[in-house]
Amino acid sequence: MNYRSWIVPPALRDFHEGRIWLKEHSPFAQQDIERALQHHYVQVLPGIQTIPSIKCNRCHNQNRHQFILFDCAKCQKTCVYCRHCIKMGRVSSCTQLMIWAGPRFIKQKKHTFHWTGQFTLLQRKAADEVLASVKQRRSHIITAVCGAGKTELLFPTVYYALCQGLRICIATPRTDVVLELFPRFQRTFPQTTIHALYGDAPKQEGYAQLIIATTHQLYRFKQAFDVMIVDEADAFPYVFDDTLQQAVQKAKTAIAPIIVVTATPSQKLLSQFPTVQRSFIPKRYHNHPLPVPQFSALWRYEKCFRAGKIPRKLKKWVEHQLAQQRPFLLFFPTIELMLVAEPLFQAMESTIVAVHAEDPERKEKVLQLRQREVKGLLTTTILERGITIANVQVAVIGAESAIFTASALIQIAGRVGRHVDFADGDILFFHHGITAEMDEARAEIIKYNKEGFSE
Amino acid sequence: MNKDITHCLLCAQRIQAVISWRILLTKQFPPTICDRCMAQFEDSSCAFAIYKYNEAMKVYLHQYKFLQDIALAKVFRQQIHAHFRKERAIIIPIPMHPLKQIERTFSHVEELLKAACIPYIQLLEKTTTETQSTKNREQRIQVAPLFRLIAGRQVEYQDYLLFDDIKTTGTTLQHATTILLDAGAKNVRTFTLISG
Repeated sequence: MNYRSWIVPPALRDFHEGRIWLKEHSPFAQQDIERALQHHYVQVLPGIQTIPSIKCNRCHNQNRHQFILFDCAKCQKTCVYCRHCIKMGRVSSCTQLMIWAGPRFIKQKKHTFHWTGQFTLLQRKAADEVLASVKQRRSHIITAVCGAGKTELLFPTVYYALCQGLRICIATPRTDVVLELFPRFQRTFPQTTIHALYGDAPKQEGYAQLIIATTHQLYRFKQAFDVMIVDEADAFPYVFDDTLQQAVQKAKTAIAPIIVVTATPSQKLLSQFPTVQRSFIPKRYHNHPLPVPQFSALWRYEKCFRAGKIPRKLKKWVEHQLAQQRPFLLFFPTIELMLVAEPLFQAMESTIVAVHAEDPERKEKVLQLRQREVKGLLTTTILERGITIANVQVAVIGAESAIFTASALIQIAGRVGRHVDFADGDILFFHHGITAEMDEARAEIIKYNKEGFSE
Repeated sequence: MNKDITHCLLCAQRIQAVISWRILLTKQFPPTICDRCMAQFEDSSCAFAIYKYNEAMKVYLHQYKFLQDIALAKVFRQQIHAHFRKERAIIIPIPMHPLKQIERTFSHVEELLKAACIPYIQLLEKTTTETQSTKNREQRIQVAPLFRLIAGRQVEYQDYLLFDDIKTTGTTLQHATTILLDAGAKNVRTFTLISG
């Protein structure tokens, strides 16, 4: 006898709902997938579409240079694949992408909200404004200085959306930020299933109503989220990569509001939001002004490092920090120059270490600085955001380099004085000539302070 | 599509074209990866391979073979071409099992030679779908023949050169060499891109 009906394995539905996934890479048995196909619970579309123009159906890349033709042994003809999202498993014209179209997960509406913190007046105002926007399903932008407590003011909005049975995504360009946000949200919403998605993330069971993901992971979702929050929207590579911005649009439903959280919005981004949909917090939570960067000329610093010497001014500054027992961060424009300088600083103080993006011990080294096991860190722009160390002093070496844009410099300056007990600190831009970006960063910080303390 | 490569295939940085007398006067493939990525690969100390297996090579092989990024076949085309340009023996790439080839959609060893414009012929076929990389040393040494001659193909009394992507214990190449010698080859040498 042939059973016509078929009960969908819950795990299959939980995983595939909202996801756009390579059919052959599904973690479930192929026969279950075929079964779901017969019941029209799964929609299938080709990996690459060529009409009207070539486009990868997963990452929506349309750059012709990133499509590669090849003789496919499977189809015995010429196929094409997308190199843009190759790291997530190859999508070619002969692979099938599957989208769940079957019964949906019945979302929980009971959630607990466990947070004992207090909002400042400004935070309360911004949090209410965001919540009002989300209730009306309109997008919103939050601009807040570094250290204003941006994450907390999302809590009421997230709680409201969860209780409405909406699916929420918090996306950010940086893996570090995902790793930092995930435990905070887990503590605040202890009964909610939350998944953290990033490259090499461990497998997580069940259906997550709240997902914290890197923006790259959004390539793998389609019309999945009812509320989309983009944190640190000014970070590299999000601002420069159009496909990432498209991915955010693709991953949410057509009517879902987007909440953008940023410290340094571009004029172009700001102009997309009417005034009622903007919130601005020019003050830190501890009610102290932002430390204003100081410029200090360090002529031909590069030559000096290569000659095996630390420039005099910089050496004096570092010696001062060491004498005062204050942890410090030195930002370098390139990994290469940083590695040249590393042994020179180690000769001064043996516990100074360098950390860069490909460093496997990156997390440990930052922790060592926090615990005062190392006295100072040499770093590149990877530590420009998302790290909080009490009483840290910061110097940027070669602040005139192209990599230090105004928004990067504002972020770097934002590392200083975040703790209520150490609300002030040194932020020095050592330079070989002042750039417009440096001036802009300084002017912007002064402007924030003016706005925050005008009354 | 498949135009000139302007950005590094590995790190996506723009490739800075450096003009030198060698590039102007000799015929070379244009570079496909940047100098910084190229510097990550270590030259092999043995005479039967070009590169050593290191972290960068592991990442490269992962993206090329397992993520199936065929464009990466071009990365070493200049080096492979330079090595085989004056080769007089008949070059035979180590074959893949037909089922495995369908699964991967291409034969990675043949693609390396194609990208380098090196002519080759195929006389062998693989008998098993098992991979060497899943077995340990003992298991690798004690197995039934991995290859056989393709029905109807003749091995002539000539020099042959077997080419593979990577050599770890050498079992694969040893099996193929035995088959060719038994079938009447004059001499069989082996060469790999990477020595393990």
